[in-house]
Amino acid sequence: MLLLKDIVPAAQNNIDTKFILLEKGRTALEGQNKTCLALVADETAAVHYQFWGDECDAFETGDIVHLTNGIFSYHHSNLVLRAGRRGKVQKVGEFTMAYVETPNMSEIHWIPDPNNSKKYVQEYVISPQSRIFPSMP
Amino acid sequence: MVSRLTLVVSHEAENQIEVSLRHAFELLEPKLRPPFSLAIPKPDKYLELNRAILYGVFCEPHFAKTHMKHLHAIVCDGYAFFVKLLVEIIHHLYPKLVGSVKNQLIWVTKEMIDVFAVGFDGLLVSLLRQIIGGDISDGNLWLCFELVNIFLDKWHCILEEEPLVLSSALYTYLRLLADHCRPLNNEKLETLKQLEIDLCVKILREEFHLCLKIGRDIIRLLQDLVHVVEFRAIWKDLVLNPSQFKVSEFADISQIYCMKTSSRYFLLRVTPEMECHLRFLLTHVKLGHQKRHQLWFARKFLNGPNRETLIVDLVRFICCAHHPPNEIIQSDIVPRWAVIGWLLTSCRKSYVEANAKLALFYDWLFFNGSLDNIMNIEPAMLLMVHSIPKYIDMTHTLLEFLLLLVDNYDMEHKDIIIKGVSSAFQVLICKGVIHSYDVLASCPVLSPLLKEGIGRLLLPENYEGEPWINGNSLAACRGKAV
Repeated sequence: MLLLKDIVPAAQNNIDTKFILLEKGRTALEGQNKTCLALVADETAAVHYQFWGDECDAFETGDIVHLTNGIFSYHHSNLVLRAGRRGKVQKVGEFTMAYVETPNMSEIHWIPDPNNSKKYVQEYVISPQSRIFPSMP
Repeated sequence: MVSRLTLVVSHEAENQIEVSLRHAFELLEPKLRPPFSLAIPKPDKYLELNRAILYGVFCEPHFAKTHMKHLHAIVCDGYAFFVKLLVEIIHHLYPKLVGSVKNQLIWVTKEMIDVFAVGFDGLLVSLLRQIIGGDISDGNLWLCFELVNIFLDKWHCILEEEPLVLSSALYTYLRLLADHCRPLNNEKLETLKQLEIDLCVKILREEFHLCLKIGRDIIRLLQDLVHVVEFRAIWKDLVLNPSQFKVSEFADISQIYCMKTSSRYFLLRVTPEMECHLRFLLTHVKLGHQKRHQLWFARKFLNGPNRETLIVDLVRFICCAHHPPNEIIQSDIVPRWAVIGWLLTSCRKSYVEANAKLALFYDWLFFNGSLDNIMNIEPAMLLMVHSIPKYIDMTHTLLEFLLLLVDNYDMEHKDIIIKGVSSAFQVLICKGVIHSYDVLASCPVLSPLLKEGIGRLLLPENYEGEPWINGNSLAACRGKAV
């Protein structure tokens, strides 16, 4: 299972991880399907997560979620983690997970690795915390 | 087999306990129909058969009696494993169980009492813990009703075999009656309330020696019920006629004041889920980063009319049943006083706030250094001190309340209370929880009246043992402090 601090953008459904859902944005329609952007985190990092279809109503803040075969990639210019067609999200608990909001893996500027063009490496931090979901005082 | 023990929720992982029971049932299903095998199963098969039978009892109510006969035929451990399974399910799954399974759970619990199953007292306690204080929803009142009937109907079995569990029932129902005796205009509540009163009065009148096992918190609960005729009568006898209770050692209510309440009673009033969440908050979440966890806790457990009365139980639980080790106390984890401060500010009704403050100070009133635990009184002191100066109103309201308690809580036993509160202050300074009374005495924003009040309490003649105000004995005391 990956820690959020170790996820790297890629065009593959290969991310197995566990996180706690901190904030949910407004549900929007993308064509026929509902989508909902959310802030999720574990003990090492936070990231923006995109719920899709019936996932949007199935989860609430405080839920601990297990993602299998997830993908971390650009979706309409937003860097988001999501289940995608091949991945799966399941609620496995609630409340009992500590988290940090910095770094936010979606708020990092990534560039192709000069040594391996298929991989991405971090170039610079755009914002230490989510610019979409402000942190709680 | 599609039947499930728990409500199916989309995108939720299935619980492993449920999976293991269902697997056992699916594996052994042919053997669960008569005629039953007379062979004695091997130990591992025995456990599997227990799981399968339990699943059958839950999911095939029409065959439950047959499954139970099967269990009676094969049992060789006094039902210990079967009861252990039941307790595990209640502990981890009760809120999610479907209605028919809850019905079966009550039925099988009665069966376990009838056969004096090993550990049936623990089974009753685990069910009592699932009743939620402040919750008058149908589901919660149903559980109150089923359990009060079990205690009344199976009175003799329980009294003979596991009498101490009656003290747990008493603690639970006295607390619940405080909710149920408020005018809520709920007709269903009338019958239930009377049964609950009957049970409590029966235990108090007939088995008072068991009531004494609870300790001082039984007084705290009874006081909340003095407006109820039956309890007013008991209260009168406690004060004026202690011999009525036919316990030779019991001569005065002050004896109960002096008895510390065991933490098992506080655990009775928080569900395992609340306990787990609170302990997590106080063990893993850093101070300054607790806001979301607090919001989630409040949304789940404090949201709804009357639910806030639960805060009183939570305060008691945190003070007396959750004592963090030194590594946590010295770390940046949310301290107990901060959580209690948040809970106090979450009270909307003034009587709840007053009860929560009483819960916070209750062990101060009767504090005895050689019997009581300093950890029970520490949160109140730290909350008062850490609220200076930014939240001085909190310090004021707490100190004011404490002084009010000293003067009015029990005028007949004011001497005991003055001694208790002064000893509490003394020990807190002695053990270095606060360095000296000066944090309050020299605080410029603290009201002079309150300072004077504490000053009066801290007169040397009020302490037990050596007066600490003397510099030498204070130094000696500090030397002893860990």
